[in-house]
Amino acid sequence: MAAGGAANSGKTYSFKVVLLGEGCVGKTSLVLRYCENKFNDKHITTLQASFLTKKLNITGKRVNLAIWDTAGQERFHALGPIYYRDSNGAILVYDITDEDSFQKVKNWVKELRKMLGNEICLCIVGKLSERLHMDTNISLRLVFVCSYAESVGAKHYHTSAKLNKGIEELFLDLCKRMMETAQAEERLKGNGASQSASSRRGVQIVDDEPQATPAGGCCSSG
Amino acid sequence: MVAVEVERMLTLAEQCLERAKSFIGKNADPPDLPAFSSGSPVPAAGAPVATDQKSPSLRTSGHSRLLSDEVGEPSPFLPPEVFHKLQAVSSQDTSKKELTPIEEASRLNQKLKANYEARVARLRPGQAYQKTSLTLSLQRQMMENLIIAKARQDALQRKMEGRRLRLQEEANRRFAASGAMTPEEREQRLLYTNVLEYEQDHVIVKLLRKHQYRIYNRLYPIPVRTASGTFGVKSFSTDSSLSPSRSHNLIPKYDDKEVEEPSEQVTVDRENSFEDLEQFLTQVDWVPPHSSTDEPGSDADLVCNSSTEPEQDESHVQELEKRALKEHLKAIVKDIHIAIDQLLSLCLLSFECLNTASFKDLCLASIEEAFFTPLWSALVTLFRKVYIEREQAYEASVKLYGDISPGDIGIPLKLFPKDPASPQGSYPYESAVQELTLLIHDRCPQRKLECIVRTLRLICACAEDYRSLHEVDSTPRTAAIGADDLLPILSYVALRCRCPQLVSECAALEEFIHEGYLIGEEGYCLTSMQSALAYVESLHTGVAQLTAGKLI
Repeated sequence: MAAGGAANSGKTYSFKVVLLGEGCVGKTSLVLRYCENKFNDKHITTLQASFLTKKLNITGKRVNLAIWDTAGQERFHALGPIYYRDSNGAILVYDITDEDSFQKVKNWVKELRKMLGNEICLCIVGKLSERLHMDTNISLRLVFVCSYAESVGAKHYHTSAKLNKGIEELFLDLCKRMMETAQAEERLKGNGASQSASSRRGVQIVDDEPQATPAGGCCSSG
Repeated sequence: MVAVEVERMLTLAEQCLERAKSFIGKNADPPDLPAFSSGSPVPAAGAPVATDQKSPSLRTSGHSRLLSDEVGEPSPFLPPEVFHKLQAVSSQDTSKKELTPIEEASRLNQKLKANYEARVARLRPGQAYQKTSLTLSLQRQMMENLIIAKARQDALQRKMEGRRLRLQEEANRRFAASGAMTPEEREQRLLYTNVLEYEQDHVIVKLLRKHQYRIYNRLYPIPVRTASGTFGVKSFSTDSSLSPSRSHNLIPKYDDKEVEEPSEQVTVDRENSFEDLEQFLTQVDWVPPHSSTDEPGSDADLVCNSSTEPEQDESHVQELEKRALKEHLKAIVKDIHIAIDQLLSLCLLSFECLNTASFKDLCLASIEEAFFTPLWSALVTLFRKVYIEREQAYEASVKLYGDISPGDIGIPLKLFPKDPASPQGSYPYESAVQELTLLIHDRCPQRKLECIVRTLRLICACAEDYRSLHEVDSTPRTAAIGADDLLPILSYVALRCRCPQLVSECAALEEFIHEGYLIGEEGYCLTSMQSALAYVESLHTGVAQLTAGKLI
């Protein structure tokens, strides 16, 4: 993590995060949980759960999150790209018991990487219904999903919106990663100003994603 | 002795009268205007407009007619000259300038003279002595007034000159720090000095009008052509009265009267690209539509050999025209961005206190409002021309599914009233539809964006209401409306709106929304609106899909 503190505390980051997931996986309740929970005041805008904002303070830096929900129905998939342009992060939700919903996630990952390269930070979230308890089948499946996530430079979480488990952690980690990406981009701009000025999109920070170790890493929550 | 005295007095009186007569005669030449008042408009009817006035002269007779035109819907587009005159009128109306001392004095003198004439008229023929004394005192008063005014004017001029020098120095100081100047900096400095020199807002307004005029000039050929219904490319270049080259020529003429063309450097490349377009269109013109082949023309014969199928040719021409229009639109959009950027930086430069994020937003909002309002209908006409196919797709879908039920478009049952037999033919989400239809009546992108935000908020509010009707006793709202619900409802609302222009309006909004808004609620709403419209457009192609009913 970049050393925070007073040095650069005047800076406010604004991040756009898109929320993707099949119609029935309950991505709405996940994000609603997160935005409503923290200070117990309603962060719900007049657009309800479709568009949510959240203000955070991470290592002394202010972060404004704008969370864009997208329609999960198949017939709206073609319209996806206009939602996720200029996104800093994406949260891809699937149902652990639904293979199909995971297949959709894979498609989105492909599309996002193609459109936004490595500039976008990805989170893959497996939703765990609380009726389900962890059996070997599910554990095996999670291991498989985790290795997939790592291979595409994403992080994997599993969570239950009802119990509010892991949600806070998920967003915090995503924010930190987005801040790192932004800072790396700033540094890049600072160093070779003349070169990188024209290529906001496309210049990639290649070393960014393999560091899968920090707190709240793969499959840490149970 | 007495007789001699009287005689001398009479002679003197006679001389005085003569002088007075000649004096009045001289002044009466231009009916009410003292000859020495110059350099500024005098509101007397029929008076010649002073020569050094900045805006072109305007016949007073046309004045009221033009104003009433402005109020009404400008259904056929006004030719650029009229547009420009309207601008001049509105700027004259808004800038009620203070009078200079000389002007003030001449007004005063006019009043004195009127008084004098009234009193002379009341005199009986025998009262020559009174008349003389009146004439003399009028003369004296007028002279005095003028001398005083002249002195005041001189003092003022000296003061202004001093101020100008001081401001020039200030401008130099401000820009001295930057060392070697780029062309933009030099231009900014020139503008800044101008701003300081004159009343500040006046220069900004002038620049605004200049940009508006320039852009209108470039928009004008397209709508006119559309309105006249000619579809061939020919009319674009052969009709000299509408050709872009003419509007191109108009610009320098106008500029000469303005600040010494401060934006020249910025716009040079734009002008070039415009010439490119012109050139491109001329090339297009070489490929005549088959209808015109019977015309004797060497170039027509020349191309006829290459084009074999007339239908192919026609579609080829249309294709080229479409491309030309798109290019034209792109260039205009870019021009508008440049113009607004320039106006904004000029504003921030002149009013340093505005240079904070929130004031900047306000500044931009007011610039845009002033900038877009007179231009929008012409601008959106061009957009509609370019997006004609999307609008047609929308229309086709409306024809097929305009009366679709909310359930059939995929809105969950709990989010609309169960009972379709609603009072007086109303339908679900009607308030949102009504709000959205208002969008095309606004003339400024920011307002339109707010309209879209209001529409989406209304949808959420309605959905909430409908759901609470369903969940009378069950658990109080566990889930709020997400995009899974919002997009089908929004598509339904967009369909119900039955307004193809929405497609082009939203496309235009996407070009002009501020970067700062893109990520926020406004950006989300516009994106959702665009998605819903795209979905509606796609509906008519997937008939089977929809008649299957279940789309979720």
